[in-house]
Amino acid sequence: MRKAYSSLESLRGLCGLRICLAGSRPFKREVNSVKSRAKRLGLNSLTFPRRMYLFAAPALALFLVFWVFPLIQMFFYSFTNFNGINFNYDFVGLKNFVNIFKDGTLGNSIRNTLVYTIVMVGASNLLGLAIALALNSNIRLKTLFRTCCYIPALFSAIVVGFIWSYVYMPRSGLLVSLITLVGGDASKLNILGNHKVALYGIALVEVWKGFGSTMIIYLAGLQTLDENLLEAARIDGCNEWQLMRLVKLPLISATITINVILSAIGGLKAFDYAFIMTSGGPGKATNTLMFNVYRIAFNEQLMGKASALSVISFFCIIIVTVLMLYVMNKREVEL
Amino acid sequence: MRKFRLKPQSVLLHAFLLCFCVLIIYPLLIVLSSSLRPPGNMDSPLLLFNQFSFASYIRAFEKMQYPKALLNSILTSGASVLVIVLFSSMAAYPVSRIKSKTSRFLYYFFIAGLIVPSQMVVVPVAQMIGRLSIPNNRFTPMIMFITCSLPFSTFLYAGFMKSVPVEIEESAYIDGAGLWTRFAWFVLPLLKPATVSVAITQGMWIWNDYFYPMIFVTRRDQFSIPVVMLQFLGDRENPAQWNILFAACVLCALPLIAVFAVMQKQFVTGIAAGAVKG
Repeated sequence: MRKAYSSLESLRGLCGLRICLAGSRPFKREVNSVKSRAKRLGLNSLTFPRRMYLFAAPALALFLVFWVFPLIQMFFYSFTNFNGINFNYDFVGLKNFVNIFKDGTLGNSIRNTLVYTIVMVGASNLLGLAIALALNSNIRLKTLFRTCCYIPALFSAIVVGFIWSYVYMPRSGLLVSLITLVGGDASKLNILGNHKVALYGIALVEVWKGFGSTMIIYLAGLQTLDENLLEAARIDGCNEWQLMRLVKLPLISATITINVILSAIGGLKAFDYAFIMTSGGPGKATNTLMFNVYRIAFNEQLMGKASALSVISFFCIIIVTVLMLYVMNKREVEL
Repeated sequence: MRKFRLKPQSVLLHAFLLCFCVLIIYPLLIVLSSSLRPPGNMDSPLLLFNQFSFASYIRAFEKMQYPKALLNSILTSGASVLVIVLFSSMAAYPVSRIKSKTSRFLYYFFIAGLIVPSQMVVVPVAQMIGRLSIPNNRFTPMIMFITCSLPFSTFLYAGFMKSVPVEIEESAYIDGAGLWTRFAWFVLPLLKPATVSVAITQGMWIWNDYFYPMIFVTRRDQFSIPVVMLQFLGDRENPAQWNILFAACVLCALPLIAVFAVMQKQFVTGIAAGAVKG
C-alpha cells in the first residue's frame, strides 16, 4: 500500500517534471537560441534596432570633441615645450616629467592631494553617517536639523571661500574673536598662514560644505532598511551598538561605497579652496595637483610642464579610484 | 495620541544635534548679521543683528551689477540644464535598451568621464574652441557645463531606464509608434524622477561654478554671479570692505536658497536618487 502510494507520488512528480520540461524550459531555450542565431546572422531587432545608436550621437559628439580629444592633446603636449600661446614648440622628450619630479612639484602635490582627500573623505563620511544615524532614530524637528546640515552645500565655492577666509582671519577673524571672548589668547593664531595646518584648514572647509549631501544619501540608505530585520536582531539580544555595527552598517554597505567614492573623486579634484583661500600657500603647503596644473599652465605659462603633471595625475586618479572600487565592492554584503 | 516620554537618551541626542547645527550655521549667521551693517563696521562681530542698514547691500548690488549678472546666470544655467536633460536621456536610451558589446562599451566610455578633473583639459579645450571659431560670449561656458555633466547624467538615466518595462515600448511599437515617438512620449515621461535628480544636481553645480566662465568669458557685462564675486578677492585684505563683501555673498547665495526653500522635498529626493540609483 505504502509502496503503491509512493510510486504514485513519484509518478506524479515525474509527470510534473515532464510538463515542466514541455512547458517553459524548452521554450526559453528556443527563444535564447533564436536570439543568439539572430545575433550571429547580424539581424536587426524590430523594437530596438541599431538605428537607436543615433540617439547617443549628440552626446557622443560633444564628449569626443570637448573631452576625449583635448585629453589626447594633453598627452601630446606633455612631451613638448609648448607655452600655451606660441605654436612653434619642440619635442623635449621626457624632460617635463623629469623636471616636475626633480623640483619636488610632483611629490609635494601628490602628498598634499592625498592628505586632503583622506581627511575630507574620512571626516565628511563619519560626520555624515553619524548625523544620519542620529536623525534616523525617533527625532523631533528632523527636517529642521536636516536643512541646517544641508544649507552650506547650496553656496558657491567662492562664497564659501570668502566666509571661511573671514573665519580663519588672523587678529580680527571669527575664530580669533570667539577664543578671545572665552578668555583665550589667540593673537598668534593664523591657520591659513601656518604651513603645518593650512591644508587641514581648507579640507575642513570642504567638509563643512560637503557633509550635508553625504548625510542625505546616508539617510536615504538607512530608510531602505527593513524594519523586520532590525526587530529580529533586537529580539536576538543585540544592543544599539551591536545593531549598528553588525546589522545596519553591513546592510548599507552599497551606500557607503557610493559616498566614499563620490567624496574621494571630489577630493582628488581639489582646487577651489587652494585657489580662493590660500593660492597654494603658505609656500607650497596647499598646492594640490589640480591647483598646480592650473598655476603652471596659466601663471607660469608652461603648458608642457602642466600637461606632464596632468598626465601623471590622470593615472594617479584612475589608480586610486579603481583600487577603492575594487576593495569596497569586495566588502559589500549581498542580501 | 502619541505618548512622548522624556527619556534622558533622547534629550541628550536632541541637545547634541541642536549644538551641532548651531555650530554649522553660526558662520552663516555672522555673515548675515554683518552684511546688515553699514560698510566699514566690523567692530564686535559677535553681536548678532544689532544694526539694520542696507547701505552695504546697495554698494554690493551696484558693484556686482546684480540684475545683469543674475540674468546671465539664469540664461546659461537654464539652457545648460535643458540641453543636458535632452542629450543625456537620449544617450542613455540605446545604452540601456540594446544588449550588446557596443552598448556596454559606450556605457563605460561615458562613465570614465566622471573621474577626469576638468582643470586638466581646460587649455586644449580653449584651443579647440578657438579652432572651431566659436566666439567667446556668455554662452561659451555652456559647452563645458554640458560636456562635464554628460557622464553623470547619462549614468543616472541609464540606471533609471532599466526599471521602465520593455513591454510598454513593444506595445507602442505594435501600435505604430516610431523610435522618437516611443522615446519622447512613453519613456521620457516615465523618467521624471531621474529628470528631477539630473536638473537639481547638475543645475546646482552649474549655477555655482566660476571656473569656466572665468576662463571663457572676457566681457564684464557677460559675467555670471559667481564670476562677479571674483572681483572681491582683493578686498579681503581691507577690513573696511568686509560688510560689502558679506552683502555680496548673501546676494550671490540668495537665488539658490529661495529655490531650495520652495522645492526642498525635490532637492532631498533628487540628491538621494542620484546616488542610490548610480
